[in-house]
Amino acid sequence: MQRQADALRRLGLFLARRLVQSIFVLFGLSILIFTIARVLPGDPARTALGARAPQETVDRLREEMHLNDTLPVQYTYWLGDALRGDFGMSLVTRRSVTTDIAEFLPASLELVIFAGVLTLVGGIALGTLSARYKDSWVDNLIRILSYAGVVTPAFIFAIIFLLVFGLALDWLPSIGRLSEGVPKPPLVTGLITVDALLAGQLATFWDALQHLIMPGVALALGSMAQEARITRATMADNLNKDYIAAERALGIPERVVMGRFLLKPSLIPTISIFALDFAANLANAFLVELIFNWPGISRYGVNAMLRKDLNAITAVILILGVVFILMNIVVDLVVGALDPRIRLRAARSD
Amino acid sequence: MKALSRILLVFMAALLIGSAVSAQDEARSLRITFSWPNYIDPAVGSDFASSTSLANLYDTLVFPMGDGTVSPWLAESWTISDDGLTYTFTLRQGVMFHDGSELLASDVAYSFTRLKEIGEGYAYLLPAATVAASDDTTVSFTLEQPSGLFLPSLVRLYVVNEDLVRANALADGLYGENGDYGKEWLLTHDAGSGPYMVEEFPLAEYLQMAKYDGWWNAASFVPNAADRVRFIGTTETATVRSLMADGELEITDQWQTNEALTALDGLDGVDIKTFPTMTSFYYMMNNRLAPLDDVHCRRAVAYAFNYQQALALEWPGTQQMVGPVPSTVGGHNPDVTVYTRDLDKAREELAQCQYGADIASYPIDVVWIAEVPAEERFALLFQANMADIGLPVNVISNPWLSVVENTSRQETSSHIVTIYVASDLAEAGLMLQQRYHSSTAPTWQQNEWLLDPDLDARIMDALNTADAGERFAKYAELQAYIADLSPSLFLYDQLQKHAVSSRVEWTPEANSPVMGYQFYLPLIGVNS
Repeated sequence: MQRQADALRRLGLFLARRLVQSIFVLFGLSILIFTIARVLPGDPARTALGARAPQETVDRLREEMHLNDTLPVQYTYWLGDALRGDFGMSLVTRRSVTTDIAEFLPASLELVIFAGVLTLVGGIALGTLSARYKDSWVDNLIRILSYAGVVTPAFIFAIIFLLVFGLALDWLPSIGRLSEGVPKPPLVTGLITVDALLAGQLATFWDALQHLIMPGVALALGSMAQEARITRATMADNLNKDYIAAERALGIPERVVMGRFLLKPSLIPTISIFALDFAANLANAFLVELIFNWPGISRYGVNAMLRKDLNAITAVILILGVVFILMNIVVDLVVGALDPRIRLRAARSD
Repeated sequence: MKALSRILLVFMAALLIGSAVSAQDEARSLRITFSWPNYIDPAVGSDFASSTSLANLYDTLVFPMGDGTVSPWLAESWTISDDGLTYTFTLRQGVMFHDGSELLASDVAYSFTRLKEIGEGYAYLLPAATVAASDDTTVSFTLEQPSGLFLPSLVRLYVVNEDLVRANALADGLYGENGDYGKEWLLTHDAGSGPYMVEEFPLAEYLQMAKYDGWWNAASFVPNAADRVRFIGTTETATVRSLMADGELEITDQWQTNEALTALDGLDGVDIKTFPTMTSFYYMMNNRLAPLDDVHCRRAVAYAFNYQQALALEWPGTQQMVGPVPSTVGGHNPDVTVYTRDLDKAREELAQCQYGADIASYPIDVVWIAEVPAEERFALLFQANMADIGLPVNVISNPWLSVVENTSRQETSSHIVTIYVASDLAEAGLMLQQRYHSSTAPTWQQNEWLLDPDLDARIMDALNTADAGERFAKYAELQAYIADLSPSLFLYDQLQKHAVSSRVEWTPEANSPVMGYQFYLPLIGVNS
């Protein structure tokens, strides 16, 4: 009981420490991106309203966005609003950035979570298989495919899938999150597959799942290859350690040795890289979202940059920063759960 | 295992139901790709997707015709006062908005006031005026000064349902007692009376519209007009090709490259349709930078350029510009100096130029827009052509935002910037104002920096001439004057190109060239 309480206390302390650190990181990030966004060429108000908009309309928008003030004053206004959850108006969509994020983030999350599941399951399975049959043709094949996966950008996979499964075979829908005429589920999470299941709309769920396959797999393949390579390398490294030889000598079945004693400690680097890949996919999905006309946050963010949509740029990068921070915290927790030595070190440092 | 089989069976059934629903919906549906975003608020939108949407969701007092004139539409008739300042319109009775309420003169007055107060979209086209609705069917506009553009510009005054907009306006907004003037609501909804109405608009994906059977002019729907129209927000080549090949798209956007269009043309049941636009491709020469500040050097450049080779880089059928405005606009003058490649004339002009003897010491920069890779070929051709007269050329690509920034100041404007410019109305005078009036010099629309007060006065005089014949005559003189001045290279009038499914019956060339009206949906037929 006492041990559990200590563990919980340590967990609470750990989370509190990381949250405080995160606030400083986000504060620094906000200053950095706020400044960078404003030194990009072009007047954002003029860009938004077009060359032919009357000057007084442009001036009014500049005034509304405090663009005539100094950078520190602008930042103070922005920070005050942001702390109240108001990131200002998007110059591209012409509505609140908060509303945009609420609409576009779930679409990207659904895609990235789907890709993440594929990455994790596929990467670990392939890595394990490769390590299990180290130096055999199976290992060589997986390694070659992994190299190909790592060096090929996601958008190349996206185009290939689109041309093969969308165009030539016509097996899967090409664009969007749902087909024409398929009823949308009531909004709960914003993830259509989840919302459809919650509403019991199986046809909608199936349609949404079909729409997820091509962009999800395209996004997953690179990370999957990366995870497979890391899993294989770590497992191959651990395979030669004495404790594995001892377990084999004790007659423990190979399946148990591989799954319980070899895979678990070998997953730490895989999980660490996976978490970064997951967060990075959220930011890097731009071309995949563009190709499949997926209304996600990554596409929104890049469009914001191309059109100097100051408020949207800042908000999207902060959101991505938050996701990176959260994923790092999750990794620390998972790694601690996987490896008692790390927990022990953390406890001693307290 | 049994449970798994059951789940699979349910999924299969669901899939079949879903497919059936989709197949049903594909009857008489028309899908077109567009470059996004799409602003469907009449006081905000003005780009291609927005203009096309607005033309179909809303009605206007007058309607643009294929010959550049306007015809009665919501307004059955109008009168103009002798001083040319007051226009009084008598409205058609019984026009119903999409919510079933009647369109009244007060809605017209509200729409005008709303557009001018918001100041975005096409507000700049409409001159300052006071507007008053004297009864339900009579509305008057009193201009501050006579304007030849007022009547044509009314094709951009989309009439909104005042009550509906007021009911959906947020109290908190920039416009005093009008709150946000309904801007947020009108981002994704319509308040119009046009032939189509918004059915669904997920902002980043598509705009879906349904045919409005209660439209006052429903008799003009072609018999096979689409029941449902979807504007899809993508121009991605692979995506568009896949959609077209799968029969999930009827008309592609206008931004497909020539290579992509050639590939689309190879698909069964797909043809390429081209038609002239009010957009032209200019090489805007900075008339304030040596050696282009000397008219003879500019003419030398104009004579040294090989226009025929440039046209060969474009889609077959593309025509060289004749003068400074597109040939599709009203008041275009076909009898102006047209420059063709003639190296003897180029050298003659160069000999008269103050920099001619030492032209190799005056290298010029040609900036093309990095986001439009096709422009590089023209820049390289220009570089090769200018080498024939000894003029060194640096070819530079710049992102669009940098071009906008650089052309806003005389000291940062390059020697030449290559830009497509579209006229907003089928009026030559408007294009002349956009391109050569001093008010546009600090914008991307004019890298020439003419800053000629006499020319400004002549342009404004022409624009303020109410009589169309007299106005067009003044436009013609101005075009001849500008062509002789050779402030720009007038490359070609752009053809609009779309891959079109053979299921579609569409004659855009018969419609008005005013942007958006080529896709006037009541006139587009779709065969199942």
